[in-house]
Amino acid sequence: MKRHTVKELQNMLADQSISSEEIHQIYLNRIKSMNDSINAFISIESDEISLSSEQKNSEIKGIPYALKDIFCSEGDKTTCGSKMLANFVSPYDATVVRNLREKGTVILGKTNMDEFAMGSSNETSFYGNVLNPWDEERTPGGSSGGSAAAVAAGMAPIALGTDTGGSIRQPAALTGITGLKPTYGRCSRFGMIAFASSLDQAGILSISAEDAAIFLEHMAGYDQKDSTSSIEEVPKYTEFLNNDLTGKVVGLPREFFDGSLDSKYQTLVTESIHEYEKMGVQFKDISLPNIKYSVPTYYVVAPAECSSNLARYDGVRFGHRSSEGTDLDSFYKQTRKEGFGPEVKRRIITGTYVLSAGYYDAYYLKAQKVRQLINQDFLNAFEEVDVIMGPTTQQSAFKLGDKLDDPVSMYMNDIYTISSNLSGVPAISHPIGFVDNLPFGLQVIAPHFMEHDLLNIVHQYQMSTDWHLQTPNLCREFD
Amino acid sequence: MSIKKSDIEHLCNLSKLNLDEEEKSLFLNQMKSILEMIQELEEVDTGDIVPMAHPLQMSQRLREDEITESNERNKYQKNTDSAEDGFYKVPKVID
Repeated sequence: MKRHTVKELQNMLADQSISSEEIHQIYLNRIKSMNDSINAFISIESDEISLSSEQKNSEIKGIPYALKDIFCSEGDKTTCGSKMLANFVSPYDATVVRNLREKGTVILGKTNMDEFAMGSSNETSFYGNVLNPWDEERTPGGSSGGSAAAVAAGMAPIALGTDTGGSIRQPAALTGITGLKPTYGRCSRFGMIAFASSLDQAGILSISAEDAAIFLEHMAGYDQKDSTSSIEEVPKYTEFLNNDLTGKVVGLPREFFDGSLDSKYQTLVTESIHEYEKMGVQFKDISLPNIKYSVPTYYVVAPAECSSNLARYDGVRFGHRSSEGTDLDSFYKQTRKEGFGPEVKRRIITGTYVLSAGYYDAYYLKAQKVRQLINQDFLNAFEEVDVIMGPTTQQSAFKLGDKLDDPVSMYMNDIYTISSNLSGVPAISHPIGFVDNLPFGLQVIAPHFMEHDLLNIVHQYQMSTDWHLQTPNLCREFD
Repeated sequence: MSIKKSDIEHLCNLSKLNLDEEEKSLFLNQMKSILEMIQELEEVDTGDIVPMAHPLQMSQRLREDEITESNERNKYQKNTDSAEDGFYKVPKVID
Protein backbone atom coordinates (compact mmCIF):
# COMPACT_ATOMS: atom_id res chain seq x y z
CA MET A 1 0.00 0.00 0.00
CA LYS A 2 1.36 3.41 -0.81
CA ARG A 3 1.57 6.10 1.82
CA HIS A 4 -1.79 7.79 2.40
CA THR A 5 -2.66 11.15 3.85
CA VAL A 6 -5.41 11.51 6.43
CA LYS A 7 -7.40 13.37 3.77
CA GLU A 8 -7.14 10.41 1.40
CA LEU A 9 -8.18 7.97 4.12
CA GLN A 10 -11.17 10.20 4.92
CA ASN A 11 -12.22 10.07 1.28
CA MET A 12 -11.78 6.30 1.11
CA LEU A 13 -13.89 5.88 4.24
CA ALA A 14 -16.52 8.27 2.91
CA ASP A 15 -16.99 6.43 -0.38
CA GLN A 16 -16.84 3.12 1.51
CA SER A 17 -13.99 1.74 -0.57
CA ILE A 18 -12.40 0.60 2.70
CA SER A 19 -13.53 0.14 6.30
CA SER A 20 -11.83 1.57 9.37
CA GLU A 21 -11.05 -1.99 10.52
CA GLU A 22 -9.28 -2.67 7.22
CA ILE A 23 -7.27 0.55 7.48
CA HIS A 24 -6.26 -0.35 11.02
CA GLN A 25 -5.13 -3.82 9.94
CA ILE A 26 -3.14 -2.53 6.98
CA TYR A 27 -1.17 -0.16 9.21
CA LEU A 28 -0.63 -2.80 11.90
CA ASN A 29 0.73 -5.19 9.30
CA ARG A 30 3.01 -2.51 7.98
CA ILE A 31 4.27 -1.67 11.46
CA LYS A 32 4.90 -5.34 12.20
CA SER A 33 6.88 -5.85 9.02
CA MET A 34 8.86 -2.59 9.19
CA ASN A 35 9.47 -1.95 12.86
CA ASP A 36 12.47 -4.27 13.09
CA SER A 37 14.23 -2.10 10.50
CA ILE A 38 13.17 1.30 11.83
CA ASN A 39 12.48 0.83 15.58
CA ALA A 40 9.90 3.61 15.43
CA PHE A 41 7.51 1.98 17.91
CA ILE A 42 8.14 1.01 21.52
CA SER A 43 4.79 -0.74 21.78
CA ILE A 44 2.12 -1.70 19.28
CA GLU A 45 -1.55 -1.53 20.25
CA SER A 46 -2.83 -4.43 18.25
CA ASP A 47 -6.15 -4.91 20.05
CA GLU A 48 -9.10 -5.14 17.74
CA ILE A 49 -10.69 -1.78 17.40
CA SER A 50 -14.20 -1.25 18.56
CA LEU A 51 -15.64 2.05 17.52
CA SER A 52 -18.39 2.52 20.01
CA SER A 53 -21.48 4.57 19.43
CA GLU A 54 -20.36 6.90 22.23
CA GLN A 55 -17.72 8.17 19.89
CA LYS A 56 -19.09 11.03 17.95
CA ASN A 57 -19.53 10.53 14.27
CA SER A 58 -16.70 12.89 13.50
CA GLU A 59 -14.77 13.53 10.31
CA ILE A 60 -11.76 11.70 11.79
CA LYS A 61 -13.66 8.63 13.01
CA GLY A 62 -11.70 5.52 12.12
CA ILE A 63 -8.45 7.35 11.36
CA PRO A 64 -5.49 5.64 13.06
CA TYR A 65 -2.51 7.54 14.42
CA ALA A 66 0.81 6.93 16.15
CA LEU A 67 1.27 8.39 19.62
CA LYS A 68 4.59 9.52 21.04
CA ASP A 69 5.26 7.48 24.16
CA ILE A 70 5.26 10.66 26.26
CA PHE A 71 1.45 10.84 26.21
CA CYS A 72 -0.56 8.85 28.73
CA SER A 73 -3.15 6.60 27.10
CA GLU A 74 -5.36 4.67 29.46
CA GLY A 75 -4.37 1.06 29.96
CA ASP A 76 -1.28 1.34 27.75
CA LYS A 77 2.36 1.16 28.73
CA THR A 78 3.81 4.69 28.67
CA THR A 79 7.61 4.64 28.97
CA CYS A 80 8.70 8.14 27.88
CA GLY A 81 11.70 6.37 26.32
CA SER A 82 13.06 5.65 29.80
CA LYS A 83 13.90 2.63 31.90
CA MET A 84 12.36 4.64 34.75
CA LEU A 85 8.87 4.08 33.29
CA ALA A 86 9.48 0.70 31.64
CA ASN A 87 6.54 -0.86 33.48
CA PHE A 88 4.32 2.18 33.88
CA VAL A 89 0.76 1.70 32.67
CA SER A 90 -1.22 4.92 32.29
CA PRO A 91 -4.29 4.96 34.54
CA TYR A 92 -5.86 7.74 32.43
CA ASP A 93 -5.71 9.47 29.05
CA ALA A 94 -3.87 12.68 28.34
CA THR A 95 -6.46 15.31 27.39
CA VAL A 96 -5.32 15.46 23.75
CA VAL A 97 -5.57 11.67 23.55
CA ARG A 98 -9.02 11.78 25.16
CA ASN A 99 -10.12 14.49 22.70
CA LEU A 100 -9.04 12.37 19.75
CA ARG A 101 -10.45 9.16 21.24
CA GLU A 102 -13.87 10.76 21.64
CA LYS A 103 -13.81 11.56 17.95
CA GLY A 104 -13.24 7.90 17.08
CA THR A 105 -9.53 7.88 16.19
CA VAL A 106 -7.48 4.77 16.87
CA ILE A 107 -4.01 4.53 18.46
CA LEU A 108 -1.69 2.27 16.42
CA GLY A 109 1.10 2.25 18.96
CA LYS A 110 3.40 4.31 21.12
CA THR A 111 6.41 5.74 19.34
CA ASN A 112 10.05 5.76 20.31
CA MET A 113 11.63 8.97 21.53
CA ASP A 114 14.65 10.39 23.27
CA GLU A 115 14.48 9.65 26.99
CA PHE A 116 12.03 12.11 28.59
CA ALA A 117 12.19 14.01 25.26
CA MET A 118 15.76 15.10 25.97
CA GLY A 119 17.75 14.74 22.78
CA SER A 120 17.85 15.67 19.13
CA SER A 121 18.77 12.33 17.56
CA ASN A 122 16.66 9.70 19.33
CA GLU A 123 19.87 8.11 20.57
CA THR A 124 19.09 8.71 24.24
CA SER A 125 16.10 6.31 24.18
CA PHE A 126 16.38 3.33 26.51
CA TYR A 127 14.69 1.33 23.74
CA GLY A 128 17.40 1.87 21.12
CA ASN A 129 17.67 4.57 18.51
CA VAL A 130 15.22 5.02 15.66
CA LEU A 131 16.62 4.75 12.13
CA ASN A 132 15.87 7.31 9.45
CA PRO A 133 13.79 5.69 6.68
CA TRP A 134 15.74 7.74 4.11
CA ASP A 135 19.07 6.31 5.25
CA GLU A 136 19.31 3.72 7.96
CA GLU A 137 22.76 4.88 9.06
CA ARG A 138 21.30 8.23 10.00
CA THR A 139 19.19 9.69 12.76
CA PRO A 140 15.56 10.66 12.15
CA GLY A 141 16.16 13.55 14.58
CA GLY A 142 14.56 13.88 17.96
CA SER A 143 13.04 13.83 20.31
CA SER A 144 9.87 12.82 18.37
CA GLY A 145 12.01 10.65 16.08
CA GLY A 146 9.77 7.59 16.30
CA SER A 147 6.68 9.60 15.32
CA ALA A 148 8.57 11.21 12.42
CA ALA A 149 10.00 7.94 11.11
CA ALA A 150 6.60 6.23 11.42
CA VAL A 151 4.89 8.86 9.25
CA ALA A 152 7.78 9.09 6.77
CA ALA A 153 7.83 5.31 6.31
CA GLY A 154 4.05 5.04 5.99
CA MET A 155 3.66 3.06 9.24
CA ALA A 156 1.08 5.64 10.34
CA PRO A 157 -0.77 8.33 8.38
CA ILE A 158 -0.17 10.89 11.12
CA ALA A 159 1.44 11.05 14.56
CA LEU A 160 1.43 13.12 17.72
CA GLY A 161 4.64 14.52 19.10
CA THR A 162 5.83 17.10 21.58
CA ASP A 163 8.12 20.04 21.00
CA THR A 164 10.13 21.66 23.79
CA GLY A 165 13.00 23.07 21.71
CA GLY A 166 12.37 21.68 18.24
CA SER A 167 11.39 18.08 18.94
CA ILE A 168 8.62 18.04 16.32
CA ARG A 169 10.07 20.37 13.69
CA GLN A 170 13.65 19.03 13.58
CA PRO A 171 12.68 15.34 13.11
CA ALA A 172 10.00 16.40 10.58
CA ALA A 173 12.69 18.25 8.62
CA LEU A 174 15.11 15.31 8.81
CA THR A 175 12.52 12.78 7.60
CA GLY A 176 10.84 14.87 4.88
CA ILE A 177 7.47 15.40 6.52
CA THR A 178 5.43 18.29 7.95
CA GLY A 179 5.74 19.10 11.67
CA LEU A 180 3.63 21.63 13.55
CA LYS A 181 4.38 23.02 17.01
CA PRO A 182 1.30 25.00 18.01
CA THR A 183 1.31 28.04 20.30
CA TYR A 184 2.22 27.32 23.90
CA GLY A 185 -1.09 26.57 25.64
CA ARG A 186 -2.99 25.75 22.43
CA CYS A 187 -3.19 22.08 23.40
CA SER A 188 -3.54 20.80 26.94
CA ARG A 189 -0.43 19.41 28.60
CA PHE A 190 -2.45 17.26 31.02
CA GLY A 191 -1.25 13.67 30.80
CA MET A 192 1.75 14.63 28.70
CA ILE A 193 4.80 13.71 30.74
CA ALA A 194 6.47 16.98 31.72
CA PHE A 195 10.01 17.90 30.71
CA ALA A 196 10.09 21.73 30.75
CA SER A 197 6.66 23.02 31.63
CA SER A 198 7.00 26.56 30.26
CA LEU A 199 8.19 25.24 26.88
CA ASP A 200 6.47 21.87 26.25
CA GLN A 201 3.70 21.77 23.67
CA ALA A 202 1.90 18.92 21.93
CA GLY A 203 1.79 18.95 18.16
CA ILE A 204 1.49 16.98 14.97
CA LEU A 205 3.76 15.17 12.52
CA SER A 206 2.00 14.55 9.23
CA ILE A 207 2.51 14.22 5.50
CA SER A 208 0.70 17.47 4.73
CA ALA A 209 -0.31 20.73 6.38
CA GLU A 210 -3.90 19.87 5.48
CA ASP A 211 -3.71 16.74 7.64
CA ALA A 212 -2.26 18.76 10.52
CA ALA A 213 -5.19 21.19 10.21
CA ILE A 214 -7.68 18.33 10.31
CA PHE A 215 -6.18 16.87 13.50
CA LEU A 216 -5.39 20.12 15.32
CA GLU A 217 -9.05 21.17 15.24
CA HIS A 218 -9.88 18.15 17.36
CA MET A 219 -6.84 18.13 19.66
CA ALA A 220 -6.67 21.77 20.70
CA GLY A 221 -8.65 23.72 23.25
CA TYR A 222 -8.92 24.81 26.84
CA ASP A 223 -8.69 22.12 29.49
CA GLN A 224 -9.64 22.64 33.13
CA LYS A 225 -6.94 20.13 34.04
CA ASP A 226 -4.19 22.33 32.61
CA SER A 227 -4.37 25.87 33.97
CA THR A 228 -1.82 27.00 31.37
CA SER A 229 -4.02 25.92 28.47
CA SER A 230 -5.53 28.82 26.60
CA ILE A 231 -9.18 29.88 26.53
CA GLU A 232 -8.60 31.35 23.06
CA GLU A 233 -11.22 29.91 20.71
CA VAL A 234 -10.05 27.08 18.44
CA PRO A 235 -10.57 28.11 14.81
CA LYS A 236 -11.74 25.70 12.15
CA TYR A 237 -8.25 25.41 10.67
CA THR A 238 -9.34 23.62 7.51
CA GLU A 239 -11.45 26.61 6.48
CA PHE A 240 -8.34 28.79 6.14
CA LEU A 241 -6.31 26.41 3.98
CA ASN A 242 -7.31 27.82 0.62
CA ASN A 243 -6.92 31.50 1.42
CA ASP A 244 -4.99 33.43 -1.22
CA LEU A 245 -1.42 34.32 -0.15
CA THR A 246 -1.22 37.49 -2.23
CA GLY A 247 0.03 40.36 -0.12
CA LYS A 248 1.31 38.23 2.76
CA VAL A 249 4.51 39.68 4.11
CA VAL A 250 7.21 37.25 5.20
CA GLY A 251 10.19 38.29 7.28
CA LEU A 252 13.62 36.81 6.61
CA PRO A 253 15.70 37.37 9.74
CA ARG A 254 19.26 38.20 8.81
CA GLU A 255 20.36 36.12 11.81
CA PHE A 256 18.97 33.01 10.03
CA PHE A 257 20.70 34.02 6.81
CA ASP A 258 24.12 34.97 8.15
CA GLY A 259 26.10 32.81 5.75
CA SER A 260 26.56 29.94 8.18
CA LEU A 261 24.19 27.66 6.26
CA ASP A 262 25.97 25.43 3.74
CA SER A 263 25.32 26.64 0.20
CA LYS A 264 23.67 23.37 -0.86
CA TYR A 265 20.96 23.93 1.75
CA GLN A 266 20.82 27.67 1.10
CA THR A 267 19.98 26.89 -2.53
CA LEU A 268 16.90 24.92 -1.46
CA VAL A 269 15.78 27.72 0.86
CA THR A 270 16.18 30.26 -1.94
CA GLU A 271 14.19 28.06 -4.34
CA SER A 272 11.37 27.72 -1.84
CA ILE A 273 11.30 31.49 -1.38
CA HIS A 274 10.97 31.87 -5.15
CA GLU A 275 8.09 29.41 -5.09
CA TYR A 276 6.35 31.49 -2.45
CA GLU A 277 7.00 34.66 -4.46
CA LYS A 278 5.11 33.12 -7.35
CA MET A 279 2.11 32.89 -5.02
CA GLY A 280 2.20 36.61 -4.37
CA VAL A 281 4.07 36.52 -1.07
CA GLN A 282 6.36 39.49 -0.37
CA PHE A 283 9.64 39.14 1.47
CA LYS A 284 11.27 41.59 3.78
CA ASP A 285 14.61 41.53 5.60
CA ILE A 286 14.20 41.79 9.34
CA SER A 287 16.35 41.38 12.42
CA LEU A 288 15.89 39.38 15.60
CA PRO A 289 18.94 40.76 17.41
CA ASN A 290 18.76 38.55 20.51
CA ILE A 291 18.00 35.29 18.72
CA LYS A 292 21.66 34.25 18.94
CA TYR A 293 21.18 33.84 22.68
CA SER A 294 18.36 31.30 22.25
CA VAL A 295 20.47 28.18 22.72
CA PRO A 296 22.25 29.34 25.91
CA THR A 297 18.96 30.68 27.31
CA TYR A 298 17.23 27.40 26.59
CA TYR A 299 20.00 25.36 28.17
CA VAL A 300 19.44 27.22 31.43
CA VAL A 301 15.63 27.28 31.42
CA ALA A 302 14.98 23.74 30.14
CA PRO A 303 17.36 21.87 32.50
CA ALA A 304 16.10 23.99 35.42
CA GLU A 305 12.50 22.98 34.73
CA CYS A 306 13.60 19.41 34.00
CA SER A 307 15.35 19.07 37.35
CA SER A 308 12.16 20.18 39.13
CA ASN A 309 9.79 18.05 37.06
CA LEU A 310 11.88 14.90 37.30
CA ALA A 311 12.10 15.12 41.08
CA ARG A 312 8.85 13.09 41.14
CA TYR A 313 10.63 9.90 40.04
CA ASP A 314 11.53 8.59 43.46
CA GLY A 315 10.65 4.90 43.10
CA VAL A 316 7.82 5.04 45.63
CA ARG A 317 4.46 5.38 43.88
CA PHE A 318 5.27 4.34 40.32
CA GLY A 319 8.22 3.77 38.05
CA HIS A 320 11.49 1.96 38.57
CA ARG A 321 12.23 1.01 42.18
CA SER A 322 15.70 0.01 43.27
CA SER A 323 16.07 -3.07 45.40
CA GLU A 324 19.12 -1.46 47.01
CA GLY A 325 19.32 1.32 49.56
CA THR A 326 19.04 0.85 53.28
CA ASP A 327 17.59 4.25 54.11
CA LEU A 328 15.28 6.61 52.25
CA ASP A 329 18.08 8.82 50.94
CA SER A 330 20.18 6.01 49.47
CA PHE A 331 17.01 4.36 48.13
CA TYR A 332 16.08 7.53 46.18
CA LYS A 333 19.61 8.02 44.90
CA GLN A 334 20.01 4.44 43.77
CA THR A 335 16.54 4.33 42.16
CA ARG A 336 17.34 7.44 40.13
CA LYS A 337 20.81 6.19 39.21
CA GLU A 338 19.36 2.96 37.85
CA GLY A 339 16.28 4.48 36.20
CA PHE A 340 17.70 7.46 34.29
CA GLY A 341 20.11 7.46 31.34
CA PRO A 342 23.15 9.76 30.98
CA GLU A 343 21.52 12.66 29.06
CA VAL A 344 18.72 12.95 31.62
CA LYS A 345 21.15 12.72 34.54
CA ARG A 346 23.35 15.44 33.11
CA ARG A 347 20.37 17.73 32.58
CA ILE A 348 19.12 17.15 36.12
CA ILE A 349 22.60 18.02 37.44
CA THR A 350 22.85 21.09 35.17
CA GLY A 351 19.37 22.24 36.16
CA THR A 352 20.12 21.79 39.83
CA TYR A 353 23.31 23.80 39.35
CA VAL A 354 21.65 26.81 37.67
CA LEU A 355 18.92 26.88 40.33
CA SER A 356 21.22 26.42 43.32
CA ALA A 357 21.97 29.12 45.88
CA GLY A 358 24.61 31.51 44.61
CA TYR A 359 23.99 30.78 40.94
CA TYR A 360 20.25 31.41 40.63
CA ASP A 361 20.57 35.12 39.76
CA ALA A 362 23.59 34.68 37.51
CA TYR A 363 22.08 31.89 35.46
CA TYR A 364 18.35 31.31 35.88
CA LEU A 365 17.16 34.87 36.44
CA LYS A 366 19.52 36.13 33.76
CA ALA A 367 18.18 33.56 31.29
CA GLN A 368 14.58 34.55 32.06
CA LYS A 369 15.45 38.17 31.27
CA VAL A 370 17.13 37.25 28.00
CA ARG A 371 14.06 35.13 27.24
CA GLN A 372 11.99 38.29 27.56
CA LEU A 373 14.26 40.06 25.06
CA ILE A 374 13.96 37.18 22.58
CA ASN A 375 10.17 37.29 22.97
CA GLN A 376 10.23 41.05 22.41
CA ASP A 377 12.21 40.52 19.19
CA PHE A 378 9.38 38.35 17.86
CA LEU A 379 6.67 40.80 18.96
CA ASN A 380 8.53 43.65 17.26
CA ALA A 381 9.05 41.62 14.06
CA PHE A 382 5.37 40.71 13.87
CA GLU A 383 4.50 44.42 13.83
CA GLU A 384 6.04 44.45 10.36
CA VAL A 385 5.50 40.97 8.94
CA ASP A 386 2.84 38.24 8.99
CA VAL A 387 5.21 35.32 9.41
CA ILE A 388 8.93 34.59 9.56
CA MET A 389 10.74 32.01 7.43
CA GLY A 390 14.11 30.32 7.58
CA PRO A 391 15.75 26.89 7.55
CA THR A 392 14.50 24.43 10.20
CA THR A 393 17.96 22.94 10.75
CA GLN A 394 21.55 23.66 9.75
CA GLN A 395 21.97 20.33 8.00
CA SER A 396 20.05 17.27 6.83
CA ALA A 397 20.05 14.02 8.86
CA PHE A 398 23.46 13.28 10.38
CA LYS A 399 24.97 9.87 11.04
CA LEU A 400 24.08 8.04 14.20
CA GLY A 401 26.78 8.46 16.82
CA ASP A 402 28.18 11.63 15.21
CA LYS A 403 27.28 14.03 18.01
CA LEU A 404 26.46 11.78 20.90
CA ASP A 405 29.55 12.58 22.96
CA ASP A 406 29.48 16.31 22.43
CA PRO A 407 26.37 17.82 24.04
CA VAL A 408 27.03 21.39 22.91
CA SER A 409 27.33 20.33 19.27
CA MET A 410 24.12 18.27 19.67
CA TYR A 411 22.34 21.24 21.26
CA MET A 412 23.25 23.42 18.25
CA ASN A 413 20.87 21.23 16.20
CA ASP A 414 18.05 23.29 17.61
CA ILE A 415 19.55 26.68 16.86
CA TYR A 416 16.65 27.76 14.59
CA THR A 417 13.81 26.08 16.46
CA ILE A 418 14.41 26.90 20.14
CA SER A 419 13.44 30.58 19.98
CA SER A 420 9.77 29.79 19.16
CA ASN A 421 9.52 27.69 22.32
CA LEU A 422 11.05 30.46 24.41
CA SER A 423 8.54 32.94 23.02
CA GLY A 424 5.66 30.44 22.80
CA VAL A 425 4.85 31.26 19.17
CA PRO A 426 3.66 28.53 16.77
CA ALA A 427 5.99 27.21 14.06
CA ILE A 428 5.86 24.61 11.32
CA SER A 429 8.51 22.78 9.30
CA HIS A 430 7.82 21.48 5.82
CA PRO A 431 10.01 19.70 3.25
CA ILE A 432 11.46 21.82 0.44
CA GLY A 433 13.78 19.42 -1.39
CA PHE A 434 16.71 17.07 -1.07
CA VAL A 435 20.48 17.24 -0.73
CA ASP A 436 22.23 13.93 -1.47
CA ASN A 437 18.89 12.11 -1.24
CA LEU A 438 18.19 13.47 2.24
CA PRO A 439 15.23 15.78 2.88
CA PHE A 440 15.59 19.34 4.14
CA GLY A 441 12.97 21.57 5.76
CA LEU A 442 11.83 25.19 5.83
CA GLN A 443 10.43 26.64 9.03
CA VAL A 444 7.59 29.16 9.14
CA ILE A 445 6.91 31.01 12.42
CA ALA A 446 3.73 32.99 13.17
CA PRO A 447 2.47 35.21 16.00
CA HIS A 448 0.75 33.53 18.97
CA PHE A 449 -2.45 31.65 18.01
CA MET A 450 -1.97 32.16 14.25
CA GLU A 451 -1.68 28.44 13.42
CA HIS A 452 -4.34 28.91 10.74
CA ASP A 453 -1.95 31.25 8.92
CA LEU A 454 0.90 28.71 9.07
CA LEU A 455 -1.30 25.89 7.84
CA ASN A 456 -2.73 28.06 5.06
CA ILE A 457 0.75 29.11 3.87
CA VAL A 458 2.23 25.61 3.88
CA HIS A 459 -0.88 24.09 2.31
CA GLN A 460 -0.62 26.53 -0.59
CA TYR A 461 3.04 25.59 -1.05
CA GLN A 462 2.14 21.91 -0.96
CA MET A 463 -0.59 22.45 -3.56
CA SER A 464 1.99 23.62 -6.08
CA THR A 465 4.94 21.37 -5.11
CA ASP A 466 5.27 17.69 -4.27
CA TRP A 467 8.29 17.53 -1.95
CA HIS A 468 5.99 16.42 0.89
CA LEU A 469 4.79 13.46 -1.17
CA GLN A 470 8.24 11.96 -1.78
CA THR A 471 8.67 8.62 -0.05
CA PRO A 472 11.85 6.82 1.01
CA ASN A 473 13.01 3.90 -1.15
CA LEU A 474 12.66 1.70 1.90
CA CYS A 475 8.87 2.06 1.69
CA ARG A 476 8.83 0.41 -1.71
CA GLU A 477 10.59 -2.67 -0.33
CA PHE A 478 7.56 -3.22 1.87
CA ASP A 479 4.90 -2.41 -0.72
CA MET B 1 33.26 30.15 37.87
CA SER B 2 34.94 26.86 37.16
CA ILE B 3 33.00 23.79 38.18
CA LYS B 4 34.84 21.13 40.20
CA LYS B 5 34.29 17.47 40.96
CA SER B 6 33.21 18.37 44.49
CA ASP B 7 30.47 20.58 42.96
CA ILE B 8 29.20 17.61 40.97
CA GLU B 9 29.08 15.55 44.17
CA HIS B 10 27.17 18.31 45.95
CA LEU B 11 24.69 18.53 43.03
CA CYS B 12 24.24 14.74 43.12
CA ASN B 13 23.26 15.04 46.73
CA LEU B 14 20.86 17.93 46.08
CA SER B 15 19.18 16.07 43.23
CA LYS B 16 19.18 12.66 44.97
CA LEU B 17 21.14 10.98 42.25
CA ASN B 18 24.06 8.55 42.52
CA LEU B 19 26.68 8.74 39.80
CA ASP B 20 29.64 6.44 39.40
CA GLU B 21 33.16 7.91 39.18
CA GLU B 22 33.28 7.61 35.41
CA GLU B 23 30.01 9.53 35.00
CA LYS B 24 31.21 12.22 37.38
CA SER B 25 34.33 12.98 35.35
CA LEU B 26 32.43 12.76 32.05
CA PHE B 27 29.75 15.16 33.29
CA LEU B 28 32.37 17.49 34.75
CA ASN B 29 33.94 17.93 31.33
CA GLN B 30 30.63 18.19 29.50
CA MET B 31 29.25 20.67 32.01
CA LYS B 32 32.33 22.84 31.62
CA SER B 33 31.56 23.26 27.93
CA ILE B 34 27.82 23.74 28.58
CA LEU B 35 28.52 26.42 31.19
CA GLU B 36 30.99 28.08 28.85
CA MET B 37 28.19 28.30 26.25
CA ILE B 38 25.72 29.61 28.83
CA GLN B 39 28.15 32.30 29.94
CA GLU B 40 27.54 34.07 26.64
CA LEU B 41 24.43 35.43 28.34
CA GLU B 42 26.63 37.64 30.52
CA GLU B 43 27.25 39.99 27.59
CA VAL B 44 23.54 40.83 27.27
CA ASP B 45 22.44 44.07 28.93
CA THR B 46 19.34 43.07 30.87
CA GLY B 47 19.25 46.08 33.23
CA ASP B 48 15.55 46.60 33.99
CA ILE B 49 14.12 43.78 31.89
CA VAL B 50 11.26 41.90 33.56
CA PRO B 51 12.10 38.17 33.74
CA MET B 52 9.83 36.00 31.57
CA ALA B 53 8.72 32.87 33.41
CA HIS B 54 5.94 31.91 31.06
CA PRO B 55 5.09 32.53 27.39
CA LEU B 56 1.52 33.71 27.87
CA GLN B 57 0.98 36.75 30.02
CA MET B 58 -1.98 35.46 31.93
CA SER B 59 -3.14 35.06 35.47
CA GLN B 60 -4.20 31.83 37.07
CA ARG B 61 -7.88 31.08 36.44
CA LEU B 62 -9.83 29.88 39.43
CA ARG B 63 -12.82 27.56 39.37
CA GLU B 64 -15.59 26.75 41.80
CA ASP B 65 -14.31 24.71 44.71
CA GLU B 66 -16.25 21.56 43.88
CA ILE B 67 -15.23 17.93 44.03
CA THR B 68 -14.54 16.81 40.48
CA GLU B 69 -12.48 13.66 41.01
CA SER B 70 -13.28 10.49 42.84
CA ASN B 71 -10.79 8.53 44.94
CA GLU B 72 -9.04 6.10 42.63
CA ARG B 73 -6.29 5.00 44.97
CA ASN B 74 -6.56 1.33 44.12
CA LYS B 75 -6.30 2.03 40.41
CA TYR B 76 -3.25 4.26 40.84
CA GLN B 77 -1.54 1.85 43.22
CA LYS B 78 -1.51 -0.80 40.50
CA ASN B 79 1.61 0.94 39.24
CA THR B 80 3.69 -0.32 42.16
CA ASP B 81 4.17 -3.68 43.78
CA SER B 82 5.20 -2.03 47.03
CA ALA B 83 1.76 -0.88 48.18
CA GLU B 84 0.06 -2.56 51.12
CA ASP B 85 -3.32 -1.81 52.73
CA GLY B 86 -3.47 1.43 50.73
CA PHE B 87 -0.03 2.56 51.92
CA TYR B 88 3.26 2.78 50.04
CA LYS B 89 6.21 0.96 51.54
CA VAL B 90 9.57 2.76 51.83
CA PRO B 91 12.80 1.99 53.72
CA LYS B 92 12.58 2.66 57.44
CA VAL B 93 12.66 6.41 58.15
CA ILE B 94 12.41 6.60 61.96
CA ASP B 95 14.14 4.17 64.31
